[in-house]
Amino acid sequence: MADVGINRVSRRDFLRAGLVFGAGAAGLAAGYAAVPDVFTRAVYAAKKDGRSNDRVLVMVQLAGGNDGLQTVIPLRDGAYRDLRPRLSKAADAAMPIDQTFGLNKQLTGLKSLWDQGKVAIVQGVGYERPSGSHFDSIRVWETGDPARRQVEGWLGKTIAKNYDSAGHPLVGCACGATGVPGALRDLEATLTVINARQSFKFVGGDEMERAAGALYTSTPGIYGALFDTSVATARDTVAQLRTAASKYVPKATYTDNVRLPISSKNQLAAALQLAAELIVTGTGAKILHVTLGGFDTHYTQEARHDGLLGYLDSAVSAFYEDVSAYGMADRVMVATWSEFGRRPRENASAGTDHGTAAPLMLIGDPVKGGLYGEAPSLRDLDRAGNQKYTVDFRSVYQEILDSHLGVDPREVLDESFERLAFTRVPVSRNGSAMIAVAAG
Amino acid sequence: MGMEKQPRTRSLPPVDRRAVLGAAIAGGAGVAAARLLGLRRTVEVDAPQLTAEAVAKRSGLDWVSPLGDEATRVTHLLRRTGFGYTPAELEIALADGYQRTVDRLIETPPAEPPDLAGAEDASQAKGLRVVDLQSWWMDWAIRTPTPFAEVMTLFWHGHFTSDFRKVGLQSPYVYWQARTWRRFFLRDLRSILYEVTLDPAMLRYLDLSQSTGANPNENYARELMELYTMGSGSFTEDDVRSASRALAGWREPRTRAMVDAQIADTIKRTGSAPPRPPVADTVKTGVFERGRAYGGPDLTFLGVRRKWDTNSVLDRILEQESVAPFITRKVLFHFVGPEIEEATVTRFAERFRKSRHDMRTLMHDVLTSPEFTSPGAYRALVRSPIDFMVATAKALENPQLAKTAPASGEAMGQVLFDPPSVGGWPSNASWISSSTMLARINFATAAVNQTRKVPSASDAHAQFLDSTLSPQTLAMLNAVNDDRKRWAVVLCCAEFQLK
Repeated sequence: MADVGINRVSRRDFLRAGLVFGAGAAGLAAGYAAVPDVFTRAVYAAKKDGRSNDRVLVMVQLAGGNDGLQTVIPLRDGAYRDLRPRLSKAADAAMPIDQTFGLNKQLTGLKSLWDQGKVAIVQGVGYERPSGSHFDSIRVWETGDPARRQVEGWLGKTIAKNYDSAGHPLVGCACGATGVPGALRDLEATLTVINARQSFKFVGGDEMERAAGALYTSTPGIYGALFDTSVATARDTVAQLRTAASKYVPKATYTDNVRLPISSKNQLAAALQLAAELIVTGTGAKILHVTLGGFDTHYTQEARHDGLLGYLDSAVSAFYEDVSAYGMADRVMVATWSEFGRRPRENASAGTDHGTAAPLMLIGDPVKGGLYGEAPSLRDLDRAGNQKYTVDFRSVYQEILDSHLGVDPREVLDESFERLAFTRVPVSRNGSAMIAVAAG
Repeated sequence: MGMEKQPRTRSLPPVDRRAVLGAAIAGGAGVAAARLLGLRRTVEVDAPQLTAEAVAKRSGLDWVSPLGDEATRVTHLLRRTGFGYTPAELEIALADGYQRTVDRLIETPPAEPPDLAGAEDASQAKGLRVVDLQSWWMDWAIRTPTPFAEVMTLFWHGHFTSDFRKVGLQSPYVYWQARTWRRFFLRDLRSILYEVTLDPAMLRYLDLSQSTGANPNENYARELMELYTMGSGSFTEDDVRSASRALAGWREPRTRAMVDAQIADTIKRTGSAPPRPPVADTVKTGVFERGRAYGGPDLTFLGVRRKWDTNSVLDRILEQESVAPFITRKVLFHFVGPEIEEATVTRFAERFRKSRHDMRTLMHDVLTSPEFTSPGAYRALVRSPIDFMVATAKALENPQLAKTAPASGEAMGQVLFDPPSVGGWPSNASWISSSTMLARINFATAAVNQTRKVPSASDAHAQFLDSTLSPQTLAMLNAVNDDRKRWAVVLCCAEFQLK
C-alpha cells in the first residue's frame, strides 16, 4: 500500500532524527524513570526479533475489583451463606461447573465454552501482603511486582524484549482506551491506543495528516519523543485500519452501546470487535488490552455486578465466535484480571468492600479447560476478614508468557513461580511454527 | 472537511526564522539560539539557562526558555491559571505586569456561572442530560471573567472526584457539586473537607450515605485518607474501619421536586399516596441522623482512642504530618512541573501547614516562587483536554465551541463529570497517545472550520506561542499563507499542547 510506504519513510526519517540526538534518548528515559507520574517511549525501540509465533494475547481488565465469590460461586458452602445473607442467593441460580462451584447465571456463553473445555479458572489468585488501595494494587498487577520496584508494565516489557514494535506499532494495542494502560507501558516499546474504530482518522484528510507528520518531527522538550511517536503511530494506525477495513466484516453479533451498563465507561464489545479486526486482518497485533470498569461494587451490588458480568459474557462470546469464524481461534487466548476480589462479608449497603484473592479466567482454544489452584477457605480469613491467596498472580503471567506467547518469562518476572499448566499445546520457545509478526 | 476547501484569505507575512527559533541543543553550553520576544518585538540572543541537572536529564533538543522576559512570564502565568487566554485578557495582564496579575488572580472571588435551566428541579420524573451540564461548564470556562476559578474548580473536581454514572442525573446533586467546588477556590482545606464530606453527590459516589455505624461502608473513609488528604501508606486498615464507623450517619437531602416525583410515582404504582409521604429538606447538604450513626464503644483512629464524629475525624486527619506534603505535591505537579524535588515540596508544605492549610497562601507561594518561572518550568506541563479545548475557543474567540467540546473530550481522555476512576484524571505524559493526539488534531481542525470568522493569524505565534517555536512549526507556519491554515498549525502544534 502506498500509504504504508509513505509512513515507513517517515518512520525512518524519524528514527534518523532519533539517532542524531541518540545520546539524549537514554538520558531522556532515565529522566522519566525518576518520576513515576511521567513515562514516555524512547525514540528508538528494541529490535530483538525472532521468537515470533502466531499467538495473540487479549487481556481483559475488570477494573474496580471484581467480586470472585459472585463470579465463581460456592454452591454448598454454609460460610458463604452466613457471610452473605443477601448476595448468596446467587448460588441458587448458578450454573454448576463441578460439585462445589458454579458460574454466575449471567455467564452463559462462558459456561458453554467451559463445557467445551475452553475455559480455565484459576482460583485464589493474589499476592503477599495485599493492598486495599485500587491504585496500589493495580500497579502491583500491572508491573508484576508486589515489591513495587518496577515502573514498567509486564506486557510492555514483554513487547520491548521480544518484538520490533517500532516497525509494527500494532504489536501492542489498547483498544477502547485513550491512554496507554499501565500494563503496556515500557520506555522501549511503541504502543498504539485506539479509542474508537470509526473516528480513528484525520478529519482534515491527507493534507492535515501530512501536516501533522511534518509538525511532529524532532519535537523539542521532555515530551518531544512521546509526541512524535504518538503522532507517527497514529498515522501508521490510520493506514493499517484503512487496509484492514476492506478485509474485515464481523462474523458475530457484538452487543452495542445500548447494553452498556451505566456503571461502566468502557465499551467492551466495541473494543473486542476492534481487537478481533486487528487480529484477523494480519496487522501484527500480538498483545491487546481492553478494560471493563465499574466493578467497585460497594453498594446494591447484585444488579450492577450481574449487569457487568452479562455484558462481559456477551462481548467475550461474540469475540470468540468472530475469531473462530475466521479460523484463528487456535491462536488467541483471552485472560481476565482485576486488582483484587471483594470482602467475603457483605456490607450494610448490600455491597462488598475491597478484598484480596479472587479467581481469574483464561479463555480460548489454546486453553486447557478446568479448575486450577485452590479456592481459599471462607472459614480461615485474614485479620481484615479477607481471603488468603493460594496462587501468586505471577504464576498465571508465567504460563501465559512461557507456554502461550513462547517468550522467556524470567526476562519479565525476574523469578520463577509454580507452574500452572493451563495451556493446551505450549508453543516452543525456540520458534517452531514461526510466523513473522507482521505477516499478512 | 479538508482545509483545502476553505476559501483563501489574504496572504500572511512570513514569520522570520532568525527571530523565532525556539529550540536548541540543551546540552551544548554556549550554543546560542535567537528568538523573538514577540510581544515586545525586540530581538535578543541568549544561551539556554538550564541547570546542569536539567541538562543531564534531558540532553536532547529542548525549548529555550523565554521566561527571562516579563511579558512571557505573564503569558506563562495566564496559561497555567486560566485555560489559555483571549487577546483581551492578555492585553490587560500585560498592562498590569506579573505581580499585579498574580494578586488579582488570587484576590478576585470566583464569578458564579448563570443558573442551568431546570437543574434545580431534576428528579426521577425529569432527569438532567449530562451533555447540558458539560456544555454549561465549558461555556462558563470560556466566558468567565475569573478564569483561575475555573482552573481551580477542575482541579478540585479531579481531586475530590465524583461521576455522573454513579451519582445519577435524577437529582441536582452533580450540578450542586459543580457549583460548590467552584466556591472552594482557594479556601482553607479544613472547611473544604467538611463541605466535601457532606456534599450530596459525594455522599452517593463514595457510599457514605449508605454507611451506618452498625454496618459501615468503607469506601469514603478510605479514599478520604488515601486520595483526598494523606496518601497511601500513611494509615492502616484499622484506621479505615474506625473512620468508616465514625463518619456514618449522613443521608442524602431530598428536594421538593424529588419528593413530588416520589409521591407521584407511588400513586402511579399503588393508586394512592404514601401514608407517610417523604418531606423535602431545606438544605443542599447531607442530613445527619443520629439513629444511623455509630453508638458503640470508643474507637482508635490514627493512634487516639476516644469518641469520634465527622468534625473530630477531619481535625485528626489535618493533624497528620502527611497532609501538607500530600496536597502541596499535587499542587506543584499540577501547576509547576513533573519534576519536583522533595526538598521543594517540604519548603512549600511547611508554610502551607503553618497557614492552617490555607490554599491562598500555598497558591500565592507557588505563583511567586522562582520554581514557577524557572527555565525548567517552561512548557513542562501538558495541557489537559479541557484546558486545550477552552484555550482553543479563547484563541479563536469562538465561545460556540462549548457546544461541540463535550463530545470531543472523550477521545482525548477527559470528560467532565466522568473521571476515569476515583483517583481522578492522569496528567502530562498520560495525556499523550496515538488516540489522544489524533483527537486533538481533529478538534483543532474542526474548530477552525467551525469558526465562521477567524481572527487574523498574523500575530498568533507571538500571542499564543511566545514566538518560541520548533524548526518544524516555524517551517509549517511559513508553508501556509492564509489565516485558517495558520490557525490550524498554531492550534495543532506541540507548542500549543504545552503550558
